[in-house]
Amino acid sequence: MSLFSVLSIGASGMQAQRSRAEVLVENLANAETTRTPEGGPYRRKDVVFESTDVTSPFASIFQAQVQGGGVAISEVVTDTSDPERRYMPGHPDADKDGYVAFPNVKPAEDMVDLMGAARGYEANVAAIGAVKDMIQRSIDLLR
Amino acid sequence: MAAPILPISPAALPSAIRPAGAANSPGGFQEVFSSAVQQVESLRKDASASVGRFLSGEGEELHTAVMATNRAELSFDLFLQTRNKVVSAYQEIMKMQL
Amino acid sequence: MLDAVAGQLERYMDLLSARQKLVASNIANADTPGYQTRDIDFQGEFHAAWRGAPQVQQVAGLANKNDGNNVSLDRESRLLAENALRFNLASGLLRAEIQQVRSAIKEGQGA
Repeated sequence: MSLFSVLSIGASGMQAQRSRAEVLVENLANAETTRTPEGGPYRRKDVVFESTDVTSPFASIFQAQVQGGGVAISEVVTDTSDPERRYMPGHPDADKDGYVAFPNVKPAEDMVDLMGAARGYEANVAAIGAVKDMIQRSIDLLR
Repeated sequence: MAAPILPISPAALPSAIRPAGAANSPGGFQEVFSSAVQQVESLRKDASASVGRFLSGEGEELHTAVMATNRAELSFDLFLQTRNKVVSAYQEIMKMQL
Repeated sequence: MLDAVAGQLERYMDLLSARQKLVASNIANADTPGYQTRDIDFQGEFHAAWRGAPQVQQVAGLANKNDGNNVSLDRESRLLAENALRFNLASGLLRAEIQQVRSAIKEGQGA
């Protein structure tokens, strides 16, 4: 029940939102990438959030209560659906029918998602700040 | 004729300053004193345990450990001041005997 | 010596800490599929005689999003601020009480 564990929880939230933002930025940057080293167009990625336990370096191994409540990215999922095909016969990556395979990235959606990630990140930062203040007030009781 | 002079009897000391042997008179100073010592000691132990639990990461809240420490400290301070008062009062009285 | 009001204030701070921890978990899991907001019955726990860890419960009246998550960042942000303010208030009051007792003890010194 320690307030200190909240610092770990907030940190896990920040990390998760940051990973989410990184993936979204990668999607947006590659929204028009038709050529990748693996061959074929860029395939968009998604993150999956999952609740986890958080461990603090100061926690006792005999701790009676499980310190749940944190979060982590459990996996990064690559989109495996068929790419979008546009008819562009002059394009260097056009296939024999003149179609070019484009990534399935929807920039508008990912932009909104990115804003959500930023908001989530800030909320976690605020949580850490609020709790740090509470801990400091407890320390002040000694003066 | 005046009444015969009675022999001088030793001055009767109030029970509070009776020598250590005559301890357990109800409400006697000895009893009050040792229960105060016990309380100070018990609070000190509580504080020590609470701080220990906090430091070893067993989930004790910081403000709980801090308050336990404050209680121990305050009861000790009070005890100390009281003891000092008693000692100086005793010394006053000892001066009076002469 | 300190016990009547100070005991209450400490219990208040215990409950606020527990609640703040849940708020932080809710914030961290605001985008976790299937995660349900957690809270405690603050007033209930405060007035109960039981002095141990409060019971964690679900929150009524929150809407589920498509992924089964019902965390409202607005609600959690509001609670975050409120819990912190109340905690700071309680610790301030507690501090004043401690200082009062300290003064009373010192007052007697040299009298």
